[in-house]
Amino acid sequence: MALNNPLAKKVNTNISNVPLMKKPTLLNTFIRDYQLWIMILPAILVIIIFNYIPMYGVQLAFREYDFTKGFTGGEWVGLHYFKEFINNYMFADLMKNTVVISLATIILGFPAPIILALIINQVVWKKWKKMIQTTVYLPHFISMVVMVGLLNVLLSPETGIVGHIMKSIGLGDINLLASENTFVPVYVLSDIWQHAGWNSIIYLAALASVDPQLYDSAKIDGANRWQIIKNVDLPAIVPTMIILFILSMGNILNTGFEKIFLMQNPLNLPVSEVIATYVYKIGIISNQFSYSAAIGLFNTMINFVFLIAMNYIAKKTSNISLW
Amino acid sequence: MDLFNKKGKTTSDMIFDILIFVFSVFVFLIVAYPLYFVVIASVSDSTLVSTGQVTLYPKGFSLFGYTEIFKDTRIWVGYKNTIIYTILGTVLNLLLTLPAAYVLSRHEFKARRILMFVFVVTMFFNGGLIPTYLLMKELNLTNNMWVFIIPFSVNVFNLIIVRTFFESSIPKELFEAAQMDGCSHFQFFGKVVLPLSKAVISVVGLYYLVGHWNDFFTGLIYIRDYSLQPLQIVLRDILLSNQVFADGAGSGGASGGYAQRYADQIKYGVIIVSTLPILIVYPFIQKYFEKGVMIGSVKG
Amino acid sequence: MKKVLNGFLALSLSATVLAACSNEKVDKEEAATTKDGKAQITALITKHPLTQDLKKMEWLKKVEEEAGVKIKWEEVSADWDQKKGAMLASGDVPDLIIGPNAITDADFVQYQGLFEDLSDDMDKLPNVQAMFDAKPETEGIATQLDGNIYGLPKYQRFWPGTATRQFINHQWLENLGLAVPTNWDELYVVLKAFKDEDANGNGDKNDEIPMDFSPVGTGGFGFFQPTVLLGSMGITLAEGSGQGYFVEDGKVKNFFTDDRYKEFIEFLSKAYKEGLISKEVFTQDYTKFQSVARGTGDVAKVGYTYGWELTDRFGITLAPQYSPMAPLKKSADSTEKLSWAYDYNSLNYGANMITLSSQSKNKEAALKFINELYDPEVSMQVLFGSLGTNIAENGDGSYKILPPTDQKMDPGTWKWTSTWADNGPMYIADDLKLELGSDMQSVGQQTEPLNAVLDAVDEKKDLYPGMFIKYSKEDNSKLSLNNTNLMSLAMPKFSQWITKGGIEKDWDAYVKNAEKTGLPENIKIMQKYYDEYMSKN
Repeated sequence: MALNNPLAKKVNTNISNVPLMKKPTLLNTFIRDYQLWIMILPAILVIIIFNYIPMYGVQLAFREYDFTKGFTGGEWVGLHYFKEFINNYMFADLMKNTVVISLATIILGFPAPIILALIINQVVWKKWKKMIQTTVYLPHFISMVVMVGLLNVLLSPETGIVGHIMKSIGLGDINLLASENTFVPVYVLSDIWQHAGWNSIIYLAALASVDPQLYDSAKIDGANRWQIIKNVDLPAIVPTMIILFILSMGNILNTGFEKIFLMQNPLNLPVSEVIATYVYKIGIISNQFSYSAAIGLFNTMINFVFLIAMNYIAKKTSNISLW
Repeated sequence: MDLFNKKGKTTSDMIFDILIFVFSVFVFLIVAYPLYFVVIASVSDSTLVSTGQVTLYPKGFSLFGYTEIFKDTRIWVGYKNTIIYTILGTVLNLLLTLPAAYVLSRHEFKARRILMFVFVVTMFFNGGLIPTYLLMKELNLTNNMWVFIIPFSVNVFNLIIVRTFFESSIPKELFEAAQMDGCSHFQFFGKVVLPLSKAVISVVGLYYLVGHWNDFFTGLIYIRDYSLQPLQIVLRDILLSNQVFADGAGSGGASGGYAQRYADQIKYGVIIVSTLPILIVYPFIQKYFEKGVMIGSVKG
Repeated sequence: MKKVLNGFLALSLSATVLAACSNEKVDKEEAATTKDGKAQITALITKHPLTQDLKKMEWLKKVEEEAGVKIKWEEVSADWDQKKGAMLASGDVPDLIIGPNAITDADFVQYQGLFEDLSDDMDKLPNVQAMFDAKPETEGIATQLDGNIYGLPKYQRFWPGTATRQFINHQWLENLGLAVPTNWDELYVVLKAFKDEDANGNGDKNDEIPMDFSPVGTGGFGFFQPTVLLGSMGITLAEGSGQGYFVEDGKVKNFFTDDRYKEFIEFLSKAYKEGLISKEVFTQDYTKFQSVARGTGDVAKVGYTYGWELTDRFGITLAPQYSPMAPLKKSADSTEKLSWAYDYNSLNYGANMITLSSQSKNKEAALKFINELYDPEVSMQVLFGSLGTNIAENGDGSYKILPPTDQKMDPGTWKWTSTWADNGPMYIADDLKLELGSDMQSVGQQTEPLNAVLDAVDEKKDLYPGMFIKYSKEDNSKLSLNNTNLMSLAMPKFSQWITKGGIEKDWDAYVKNAEKTGLPENIKIMQKYYDEYMSKN
């Protein structure tokens, strides 16, 4: 951090127009760092106006929504809706399914774009490299409806190409879409198929900014390709990796709604009913604004706790953190 | 071919290259086949597609899907709107995000941690749709093209990505050197940081651009006038108007027969129509992912 | 360099200024009248996605003219629920909202004061009053628990008594020398023969799918599903039966915990085990369900299935191979009174088709427009399209629906394309003389085998009148919450038992679990409303 960093301190004294090196207080940062404040001010304004002003809506989770009394005028019911959710008949199953799906997505989905980026970065034939790079990022643009439609067509045991391949290699005709055991793998793998290429872009950008001199000196040291990946490429993307990992842990209870909803059928429902789809089902029919707001807030709180914990761990171990 | 260029390569490097090549071919095939399938399905008879008879080449060839999509004149208005929203929106996004990310990457900036926290909180907590809608109405942004551009013009995720990049890839020595020359933050940011960060700027620019391009929720909630609707809303309407009714009789009749045959053509055609323009953008951005792009720009 | 930086700064600042500028109040309030003195009102319609631009509807132009209004339309064909939430909660509603149950009874309770009570405006709505007089049940649909009327219903008269018909491939039966089955046992034998023999005669014994039904959702049953077989044991499906509720002898029950449902599953499970039901029946989507039945060329693939109408279900080429069937008995010696899915009310009535905003500046004009829509001759055009292009006037006061101008198009699609169709408010009076189009005629014909059973349904004792019942807000949310829980238990079990068996072992525990989802409470609530309704009618 700034105070422990001699370099930063030195820089500070150079840059500031404040002659005396006072103990830094919030007030004199306004004067000393006025340029920085000017640069960040527009962003702060936008965030305050569009994100913070509507936040009074959070209290809906603690109130009975009453249109006639205005948005925040409803009767205060405290934790009533939170209790209702936790005591719900479905609560344990919903939590379990949600966590399983999102953990699987993180565990398998997080490394995939990294590996992909490292490999693409190693491809020597330029044209091929461009070609594969362009191809892998395309699936990102397929809409959910079509994506699930594609899964239905390609995975059908009778008529789909994956069905045919599985039959020909002797896996028999398992209906991948019709089982509790295959729902999570199909969901996660298709997610990786769709987004790994897109997510690898950020890593490719980080790899692009590695100083070429580092490669040269590694070669002079006699490092082979594998060692270069390990000692030059990987360290270059570690900060990005850590930050993205912290953020993805902050999404532990957020699963994609639309895809799961579209993939649901009675056979996989015991593992595919997650918080998001359940909220949709109870909310859409009966306008339960307060209830769905409470469940949403419950989700957010848990996510946020995970984020803070991950951020703390990352900071202690690698000195990289969100704040 | 570079692949077989033996100059200066050891045997283990050769094996390594071949492994990489094989693996990349494997990845390519897995990704490319379903994409290819989307293309051939968009010109094939839907009944053949859904019964699995279309696998390697189109069957029952017809361009009905595309004629149906482009027959709808609203699509051109949609394209125009989306292009305007995307360009203006992305420019504004970058104007706000890049300087803010720079500031948050400066370790001497005292408010850095607290501000970062303030920003991150918004990734988790929000007031919900209705308070946001009321705010937009208050600001007169409902049924107004600026609603696509101004609100939420700082995406905290993107902000964090840029900040991380600035922190890890801009050598500290550079700023020191700049200090010696009497450079202000404004100058250092414009003259040194930005040129060095083309890669991350193009990534985040792409993220924002695609975000605007695919945005259909804003149009759905805040826009009432069809002439302001973006492409995605138009395409969604076309898509839906050609889907068979899952509740056929419930909505009163057998309307399936006619629309059925081409439903999938349109479904897949829509993907292609909405994605092609983005495809064109990518190669321009791709060149910034080449190795050594950073040093080159400092010298240049 | 400075210049560039200054420019950059100026730009980023101007972005904020821009944001500020847009705050300036631009008063977009619509003028109450147009220049030529017509009342200006705004309206939103949730139309079917196929429906053409409202500006092109001749009949609508005339009606607006007649009522002396100029309407600014907003046409919505997707994601209405999401849009609605923001619109209602912010109070930002147009003068008129049109569409089937576009605003629900629950919305009226939730957003009190947002919609105009029309019960005291009846003098300005003589056509609506005429509907209420001729069809008193429509007034029942319209009247809320507080006695007010916020949304007006529709009556469209011509629709058949059920949505689901069962079809069998009679050509296959002939090929194999079999008779049309009349009970479950015979059906089983027929399906087995379809499976084992080369029923479609194309040389491949394995490409026949003996039985198929439409995709079963996770939220309950729907049309074109085998639940109609429960009719063989005297259960009359009606509104609400998607989630299992039915009435028998004046008692509200739920078939999900009924022993007859168990027998029904056992039958399906046996059939599935033998490969008589499509293997993909639980995973296919509706498109695939439809495509498969269309076979390849003139070779049919499906033997016995459910649908709305033959041509819609099998395509023009294959439709002649199939014919509709009468309801099945459970076994040859079964004496149970037969029943079927009774959908007459949900197909012919609709609630809350049009509402008027209480803040409308032009109530008089809007009421006049509403009244025009309920004129039987206008209503006919709301449903089938404009006079001249879609409907012909025979000159003797009777009318005839014209076939589509585009020959490739079927009459159903044409109706949806031309006009509001079933999504509009309407009153098709019983004395209106109208000859229907070919699609409606064939639906009528194909319902004939079911008519005897449908006519015999005791509406007083065996039918849940869901269409006419209004729940209080608390009861409504209780019902939907409990039903969501019940469905997440019952629907997976339904599909598991069929595909994997095991009902014998699971049944008792399952029934106990179903009680825990709040099922008894729901039955009690529905019984209360049912009794109340019956005592009044």
